Amino acid sequence: MTPALEIVGLSKTFGEKVAVDHVDLTVPQGSFYGLVGQNGAGKTTTLSMAVGLLRPDGGSARIFGADVWTDPSRALSMVGVLPDGLAMPERLTGREVLTYLGLLRGLSRQVVAERAEELLSVLELDVAEKTLVIEYSTGMRKKIGLATALLHAPRLLVLDEPFEAVDPVSAATIKTILRGFVAGGGSIVLSSHVMALVEQLCDHVGVIDGGRVAAAGTLEQVRGDLSLEDTFVGLVGSADTGTKELSWLSR
Amino acid sequence: MAVALTAAAAPATAAGTARTMAAMKLAVLRHSMNGQKAGLIAVGGTLGLVLAGGTLFAAFQSGDLLAAAYAVWMLGWILGPVFSGGGDETLRPEYFTLLGLPPRRLAGGLLVGAFVGVAPAISLLALAGLAVSGVRQSPAAVLAALPAMLLQLAIFVLLSRVAVAALGIALRSRAGAIGTGLVNGAILAALGQGWVFVVALGQAGGITPEASAVLRYLPSGWGLAAVEAVGAGNWAHAGLALGAMAVLVALLLAVWAALLTRRASAARASARGRRPMTASTASGAVTAKELRAWSRDLVRTHQLTFAVAYGVFFAAAPLVLGVDVMLPWAGPIFIVMAAAMTAGLYAVDGTALWLTLLVPGAADVRGRQRAWLLVVGPVAVALALACTAAVTGGPWPMVLALTAALLGGGAGIVPLMSVYALVPGTDPHRRGGNPLRVSEDDGALTGMAYAVLALVALTGAPAAVAVVLYGWAGVAVGVVTGVLCWWGFGLLAQRRLHARGPELLQTMRTGKRPASASGDWGSFDELPKRERIIVAVCMTIAAIPLFPQGVVPALFKINDVESKSWFLALHLAEAFQWPVIVMMILLGLGLYVLGAWTFYRHRRR
Repeated sequence: MTPALEIVGLSKTFGEKVAVDHVDLTVPQGSFYGLVGQNGAGKTTTLSMAVGLLRPDGGSARIFGADVWTDPSRALSMVGVLPDGLAMPERLTGREVLTYLGLLRGLSRQVVAERAEELLSVLELDVAEKTLVIEYSTGMRKKIGLATALLHAPRLLVLDEPFEAVDPVSAATIKTILRGFVAGGGSIVLSSHVMALVEQLCDHVGVIDGGRVAAAGTLEQVRGDLSLEDTFVGLVGSADTGTKELSWLSR
Repeated sequence: MAVALTAAAAPATAAGTARTMAAMKLAVLRHSMNGQKAGLIAVGGTLGLVLAGGTLFAAFQSGDLLAAAYAVWMLGWILGPVFSGGGDETLRPEYFTLLGLPPRRLAGGLLVGAFVGVAPAISLLALAGLAVSGVRQSPAAVLAALPAMLLQLAIFVLLSRVAVAALGIALRSRAGAIGTGLVNGAILAALGQGWVFVVALGQAGGITPEASAVLRYLPSGWGLAAVEAVGAGNWAHAGLALGAMAVLVALLLAVWAALLTRRASAARASARGRRPMTASTASGAVTAKELRAWSRDLVRTHQLTFAVAYGVFFAAAPLVLGVDVMLPWAGPIFIVMAAAMTAGLYAVDGTALWLTLLVPGAADVRGRQRAWLLVVGPVAVALALACTAAVTGGPWPMVLALTAALLGGGAGIVPLMSVYALVPGTDPHRRGGNPLRVSEDDGALTGMAYAVLALVALTGAPAAVAVVLYGWAGVAVGVVTGVLCWWGFGLLAQRRLHARGPELLQTMRTGKRPASASGDWGSFDELPKRERIIVAVCMTIAAIPLFPQGVVPALFKINDVESKSWFLALHLAEAFQWPVIVMMILLGLGLYVLGAWTFYRHRRR
C-alpha cells in the first residue's frame, strides 16, 4: 500500500548550520505518527519541507505517491497542514477565514458554509463570531488553524505542535477529533516534545535529533520495555544529564 | 554588550536607569553599524550635515532666517518618524515592561537613550547657530546660547517622541486614523510644494514683521528669543524664554510618560462591516479578504487618507499664487502616492503566505489586483473628474489618459514589486505597540515605496507622450497601457509567486532576505560598501535636478509663470533657460539610471 507520507533523504542547510540531514520517514496509511525531538532538532523544518512550505536542498517528499515538488496540485489537495506560529488572514473572523480558504480550495459556497458551521461549533469557536483572528488567544489560533487544515477533507494531516498553549478542555476536543479522523481511515503526523501526549495518541513514533532520525517505527518497537520519555532521553540526552542547580535559588 | 551589562548592575536610581539605556543604545548602534544600515546612516548623516551647514549659514545672515530654519527642523523632527516607520525604535518601551519602572523614570531613561544617535548630534550642530547668533550680539548672549541649545534639542527630541506616541493612540480609532492621515498628507504636500510658499513670501517682500514674530513664538524660536533678549540686555525676557523651555520640556516628558503607559498592543481592528462573504470563486475570495483588510486595518485606512490628502493638497498648493494648472493633477498624484503607500502588499500579511502556497492553483495576485483597483479606483476617478472640472479649460485628455494608465500601472507594479523585491513584514499579531512599524527593515520598506512611486509614474509616460503628440487619441493609449500593465505585470507576479513561493515564505519567517541566487533580485545590503553609497546617493539626490530644477521650471516656462524661486534655469539669460532645464532633467534621469545600473550590475554577479 502507498504510504500516506514518504520522505526520502530530505536535507536542508541554513548558512553553516545543517538543520535537517538526510531524513527518511515513512508514514503508513491509517497511522497516527508522532515526531518527537528537542527544540531545534529539525522537526518543523522537516515537516515544512514535506508539505511544500520550504524548498529542500535535497531529497523528496511524496503524499500518497504524488511528489510535493513536481506534482504539487495533486499532492497538496490530499493534505491538511497546521504550521506552528505562522500568521493567518488576521483581519477576518473565524468564519470568514474558513469561507475564504474553502473558496480558494475550490469548494462550492454551499459546502463551505456547512463545513464552516460544523467546524466552528465543534471547536467551540462560534462563540467568538465577531472576533477577528488577530484578537484570538494562542489556543484559539491553534483551533482555527486546525479547522483550516480539516476544511477540505484531506486524507493526511500534518500538524506542527498542535497542542502547544492549548487549554486542557480544548485539547480533549482536539484529541477526540484527531482519533475520529484516524478511525475513519485518515493518517496523521504530528510533532511534539510532550512524550506523554505522543504515547497516549500515537501508534508510530519517529525520534529526531540534530537533524537526523535517531529511531523510527511503531511505538512498541521504539520504546521497548521503557517509557517513551526514558527511551527519548537515552537517545538524545547528553552523557552528563545531572541537573545543575541555580546557586542563588537554593537556600 | 559588556558596557550595557556592567551598567545594568546599578539601575536603582533614575540616573542609573538613564545611563543603562544610553549604554544599551550605544551597544545596539555599534552592532548595527554594518551592512545596509551603515550606508543609510552615512547618507542620512551627510545630508543632515549639509542642512546643518545651511542653518549655520542662515545664523550669519539674519535672526529671522535662523528662526525659520529652526521651525523647519522642528517640523522635521515631528514628521520624520511618521514617514520612516515610526522613527527610532532602537529602545522600545516594551523591552522594559517587566522591570516595573515608574512611567516618569522610564520616559526619562528612554529620553536619554533618544539623545544618543546621529540625528540628535546633527541637530545639536545646527543649534550651534544659536551660539553664532550670540557671538553677533554680546559675550553674555553666547553664554545664554549654551543652555538654550540643550533645551531646544530636548524640545525637538521630545516633540518627536510625543508625536509618535500620540499617533499610535490615534491609530486605534477610525476617526483618529483618518484625521492623522489628512493632517500628515497635507503637511507633507506643503513641504513638497515648499517653493510655493517661498515664492509667496517673495511676493510679500521677504519675512514680514508678523511672520518674524510668529516664528519666535513657536517653540522652535524660544531659544533664539532668549539669546536675542540677552543681546538686547532684556534679562527678564531671556529668563522667561529659558524658563518656558524648561517648563515645556518637563511638560512634554510628563505627556510622553503618560502616553507610554497607554501604549498597549497593536492597533485594534474596527468592529464594523461584518457582512458575510458573498464571493463564490477563488479569486473572488481573495478580493473579499483584501477588501476586509482594507476596511478593518486602521493602518491601511491611514495610508489611503494620507494619499488622498497628499494628492489634493499637493495639487492645490499653487492656488496660493493664483496658479491653477496643477489642480487637475490631484487624481494622478493620488494614484501614484497610493501605490507607494501600498508597496508592501504581501509584506503586510507576513507569514500568512503559507495558505496561498498550499493552494497552488489559486489566482492570488488577480484577486489582490482587483481589490486594489476597487479601493483606489473610485477615489482616483472622482478626484480626477472633480479637480479637472474645477478648472476652466482643464487638460481633460491628459488627466483621463493618465488616470487610466496609472491605475493599471499601480495595479500591476504594486504586486510585482511586492513579490520581486519582498521586504519581510512583521506578522500582524506580533507587531509592537507602534502601529506605524510594520517591518523590522523600515529603511528597505521606505526605499520600496520610493521605487514603486517612480515605477508607477513611469507607467504613465507612454500615455502622457501620446496625449502631447495626438491629443484625445492618447486616452486610448492610456487605457491600453493600463490594461497591459495590469495584465502583464500581474501575470509576472503570479508566476514569481508560484516559482519562488517557499523562498518568499522563508524570508517572511526569518525576517531576513535569503542569500540570493546569482542573477536574482536580492537585497541592497549585499552590495559592497562603495556601491551601496553610490546607489543611495544617486537615488536620494536624483529627484532634485529632475523635478524642482527640471520639470517644475519647464512647467513655469510653458505656463508663463513670473516667479523664479530657486530654479537655477529661470535666473539665467533667456537663451540658456531651455538648455539648462533639459540638462537638469537629463542629469536627474542619469542619476537614477546610474543608481539602478550600479545596483543591477552587482546583482548579476
